[in-house]
Amino acid sequence: MITPEVRDLTLTQMLRAHAKERPAMLALRQKDFGIWQAYSWQDYYERARHFGLGLRALGLSEGGHVAIISENRVEWVIAQMGIGLVNGICVGVYPTSPWNEVAYVLEHGDAEMVVCEDQEQTDKVLEAWPRLPQLKHNIVIDMKGLSSYPAPPSSFQDIEARGREFEKTHPGLIDELLDNQQMEDTALMIYTSGSTGRPKGAMISWGNLHAAAPGLFELLRVDENSSSLSYLPLCHVAEQALTNIAPVYAGSTVSFGESLRTVQEDLREIAPSFFLGVPRIWEKLHSAIYIKMQETGRFRQGLFKHAMKACEPLATKPENQWSLIDRLTYGAYYWLVFRALQNFIGLRRCTIALTGAAPISTGILQFFRTIGIPLVEVYGQTESTGVATAQPVDDIRLGTVGVAVAGVEVKLGEQNEIIMRGGSMFKGYYKNDEATVSTLKDGWLHTGDVGEWQDGQLRIVDRLKDIMITAGGKNLSPTEIENTIKASPYIKECIVIGEARKYVSALIQIDFETVAKWAEQERIAYTTFRSLTEHERVRALIQGEVDKGNDKLPQVAQIKRFHLLTKELDHDDDEVTATMKVRRSNIYEKYTKVIESLYA
Amino acid sequence: MEALLEIDNIEVVYNKAVQVLRGLSLRVPRGAIVALLGSNGAGKSTTLKSVSGLLSLEDGEVTAGEVRFNGANVKEVAPEKLVRSGLFHVMEGRRVFEDLTVEENLIAATYALSGRKQSLADSYELVYNYFPRLKERRKQLAGYLSGGEQQMLALGRALIAQPELIMLDEPSLGLAPLLVEEIFTIVSRINREQGTAILLVEQNAAVSLAIASYGYIMENGKIVIDGPAEKLAANEDVQEFYLGVGGKEGAARSYRDIKHYKRRKRWLS
Repeated sequence: MITPEVRDLTLTQMLRAHAKERPAMLALRQKDFGIWQAYSWQDYYERARHFGLGLRALGLSEGGHVAIISENRVEWVIAQMGIGLVNGICVGVYPTSPWNEVAYVLEHGDAEMVVCEDQEQTDKVLEAWPRLPQLKHNIVIDMKGLSSYPAPPSSFQDIEARGREFEKTHPGLIDELLDNQQMEDTALMIYTSGSTGRPKGAMISWGNLHAAAPGLFELLRVDENSSSLSYLPLCHVAEQALTNIAPVYAGSTVSFGESLRTVQEDLREIAPSFFLGVPRIWEKLHSAIYIKMQETGRFRQGLFKHAMKACEPLATKPENQWSLIDRLTYGAYYWLVFRALQNFIGLRRCTIALTGAAPISTGILQFFRTIGIPLVEVYGQTESTGVATAQPVDDIRLGTVGVAVAGVEVKLGEQNEIIMRGGSMFKGYYKNDEATVSTLKDGWLHTGDVGEWQDGQLRIVDRLKDIMITAGGKNLSPTEIENTIKASPYIKECIVIGEARKYVSALIQIDFETVAKWAEQERIAYTTFRSLTEHERVRALIQGEVDKGNDKLPQVAQIKRFHLLTKELDHDDDEVTATMKVRRSNIYEKYTKVIESLYA
Repeated sequence: MEALLEIDNIEVVYNKAVQVLRGLSLRVPRGAIVALLGSNGAGKSTTLKSVSGLLSLEDGEVTAGEVRFNGANVKEVAPEKLVRSGLFHVMEGRRVFEDLTVEENLIAATYALSGRKQSLADSYELVYNYFPRLKERRKQLAGYLSGGEQQMLALGRALIAQPELIMLDEPSLGLAPLLVEEIFTIVSRINREQGTAILLVEQNAAVSLAIASYGYIMENGKIVIDGPAEKLAANEDVQEFYLGVGGKEGAARSYRDIKHYKRRKRWLS
């Protein structure tokens, strides 16, 4: 297949080009009250233009920062493009963040204006406003419940209407601004999730976005007929790559579902041609299938088991090396089992599915490849504008993250740290030169991850900072141990402790859904999450799962003791980040007593 | 404390298609008042019906788990036998015989006593003692009683059967606050004086938690949180979603400040 060329334009210039060259083609879809509303490239460009001009009319300065706090919806990208069209800088904030985190990003990011999705986000901003002297305006997409506020904010439509008027008096302003847009200009600031400390604002230029496109084209095989669902937070680099970079450069269609809770149904309706899931999503789909399988009859269970067993070796075998028997086996099971499963998760038309943003357990990866989903693991960072390496779809080495994508050069530096170079490496951290200097050295991005080469493919060992040295002086990778344990459908989260300790222990959070299902089958009475974790049979079950994981680990890395968490880790309690990454230091601190008891 | 009623991991399916309860467990100790709270459609009434054996009337079925009353599985026991063994279910909506008088309603209830030696007059006196209002109206048709009086009659019929456990389904339904308070006071008196255990299903969390010793909160066919009543009443989520206490000041919530979004429920116990 020929990959279409990436044109030499910034993202916003590209939007204008689409609006001129293929105005009536479908750009965006938004599901609203159950109906998919369509927006052509012309609509998209026009709304973005009006919104941008509206911000100008409201007094947005040249290069001014505008924050967006919203779930994924068309207004998100319209606002982002609008901000870009008038040379503003867009700062995304997680809609799930508690107000103090919102306040931090707005304050550190010097936002002049903020676009809020609804009353909930507005309330957070209002609470933080006294701390934000530079914040001038609040713009709200869904005004429900806000008209009775003492000083009601402006609505999104108001700003668009203002921009429409402004355009009449300032025709050609947008074209002028766009023609002068430079690749070096900052396009957006992406705040890293901050699993180790305060979030840092990575400045991504138009050039970075542009340089990331060829790699995405090659990987996603995206063209103007492609279609995808935007559902991961747009303030994260991964969804920026899949919602903005790839579709806008390629001219494909992006759909926005009704909410994060309807992803499963939306996927079935859209049947996207490419899909990115974080490991949590894949784990969830995996346990959804697993639960349904347990509920079904013996015949189907048997059929499923046979299918999985017969096709497992094919998961990692390149398709062009399949023998006739392989083909027949897979073909038979495809019609009997896999096709239905692919339909169930809505990914039957996917030409490529990605997992990234966090390490995935190889068992899960293998499971999806076995049922015929072309799932590959990718690796990248906010600082590399997303995907930097990817597993080649027909040469999978389980446990690796593959090879560098087009435009990126990867090698191992000191202490085997992964370092990268290319046009997509970011400009630096906002207001944090110290961090910028230690990250970008001689044109190489220092990722802070330790890697190693395995048959020419990169394997991530762990975060440099996270590597533990036990009391016995052994180097251990907590992530590796945790992922081995997390392969169990009954274990959702595992945090390993071992630094300067005699042996390795762990805090384990059970997967409520699957363990609850198991408890029902085993006739174990429980009422809540807590009572379930405190049941001795559940403990025995998890002990069994840990033992299974331990068998795959070297002696020193085996988990000797563990504690079951009696509540789920939560963003609101500062235990995980908005992307559900574990904040190790916070957890170590919060559970000191429990941890000490594991070594008592 | 010894459990009088134990519900162990039951699943209930209506019409062989709609699963209403999923892995629900709860227990009522002898002589205690236990509140089961939840919003509309959470599955509270279904839970009671699966105990008293009335599910089959609505094409429902307990597909897994078991219910034990006094240590014995209730599955194969006919509903009327259950009543005679001391389990009385006061259904939602009172269901008095409208065309019979108050007294005749009570007489009808003595059917639950058949086979037991018991002075009927004493039973009536007991009821009239708790509900003097019923005595005044004993010759009136039950259909002409007020809602509160009908509720009293429904409770009176339960008392006649001298049960060990009364399951009360929404006694506050459609009643004025003053009457609700009166009825709840009597319920807690019955519990205290007769030693009758009560499983109280309610939407009115404030009054139920006030008289109950233990509470369960149900959502979507599952228990989301349980605990001693005082502890539940102090829980942040219970306060916000069931007791209408808003914000940090602990003041009652005004409808003016109502939000169009819901704070995420966490149900931390």
